[in-house]
Amino acid sequence: MQIDKFAGMVKFSLSESERATIEDQSRVLVDSFGLLKNIDTDGVDAMFTVLDIKNVLREDVVAKNISKETLLSNAPEQYGGYFQVPKTVD
Amino acid sequence: MSGLVALEDCIMQKDMPITVGSKILDGFVSPVNATIVNRLMDSGYEIAGKTAMDEFCVPSFFDESGEALDAIQVVSEGRAQYALSNDVFGKYRKQAAENGCCYIRPTYGTVSRFGLVQSVSSMDQIGVVCKNLSDGFALLSKIAGRDSKDGAMFSEENYSYAASVKDIRVGVPKSLSDFGLAENFRTVDIELEYFDVYRQVMYILCCAELGNNISRYDGIKFGYRAPDFRGINDLYTKTRSEGFGANVKLAAIMGAMVLSQDWYTPYYEKAMKIRRLIKESLRFDDYDVIAMPCQISENPYENLSLFAPAALAGLPSVSFPHNGKGIQLIANVKREDLLLSAWEVCK
Repeated sequence: MQIDKFAGMVKFSLSESERATIEDQSRVLVDSFGLLKNIDTDGVDAMFTVLDIKNVLREDVVAKNISKETLLSNAPEQYGGYFQVPKTVD
Repeated sequence: MSGLVALEDCIMQKDMPITVGSKILDGFVSPVNATIVNRLMDSGYEIAGKTAMDEFCVPSFFDESGEALDAIQVVSEGRAQYALSNDVFGKYRKQAAENGCCYIRPTYGTVSRFGLVQSVSSMDQIGVVCKNLSDGFALLSKIAGRDSKDGAMFSEENYSYAASVKDIRVGVPKSLSDFGLAENFRTVDIELEYFDVYRQVMYILCCAELGNNISRYDGIKFGYRAPDFRGINDLYTKTRSEGFGANVKLAAIMGAMVLSQDWYTPYYEKAMKIRRLIKESLRFDDYDVIAMPCQISENPYENLSLFAPAALAGLPSVSFPHNGKGIQLIANVKREDLLLSAWEVCK
């Protein structure tokens, strides 16, 4: 298991104890996944969702839902009506 | 209709804080009401407050805490008549039946999820903790029905639930349960094909979906932001490492794994194919409902197999105490009437 690689993909930095616990638990889970290979799925389509969903398209309609102020009020930091982020380009 | 309704803290109530049991949403205030909150209030129910929950609905599958869920306690102690929750993994169905309550998980796609914070999108489904199923279904009839704000719903505008059938055929997986149901029902021995992989399929799909759903929590737009960081990547990593707990981290890491190049086909895609086989295997032809126990092991991961079919196949299920044990009944899509009918007999 490449725990640090996969943790990095989802932007987690793990402590030593977290890594040890996740290694132990993921080993148990992955061992249990081995049974899947016994199931014959040749010719079976993957099921993403149980509903038979189709795109329902409509014309765009202008509506006032949530104000910019309301949305920004939940931001950890904001400045001048925008989300504030650290410098992203050196 | 009237009654006090507690909301699990993943359901938005306008201007109230919402945490989904996570530090990552620290400080977040709901900008809207969930559709079901509006419908409850329009129907005369009162919101009692929020109940604590497992972070993003994910329990530990390795260490079952003995603590009763907040929503179950609130209803069993009479502090609210109902509690609404998103019981993906079965913990509410199990604990409700163990604590003198009932739980209704309706058919997937019949109750709006607008204003429900996503955990596992293809299985998220708001359900009801109640003292008896007739009251629970009465409440459900007020909140169920199509909502244009939830794109994954059936088209019916309304649902009414009533016990309809007297002579119910109960499928009993012979290796799993012995509830003495033969006294009241025509029972049929059934074998649940693919039962041995129910929990694996569910866990793989849940991890993949949860991992994607929580990618939006980055410390920029809302919720928690780590106080000290150097640059944008460090902000993301520190915020998420400090903001999420152990069970969610494990699930998200497993999700990244099963979606990665080498694992996608043998695990994620394979699980989605088996999901179809599982749904097609639950035919409800010579039985009307399936009776399952709420516990078969002290190991929570093994118990997940009991709650996987409803989640994977989008089926309605209920749980309640019966003959000193917790029983779970599962019916075909939109056949909640059969579950109510069976409960009427059992009670």
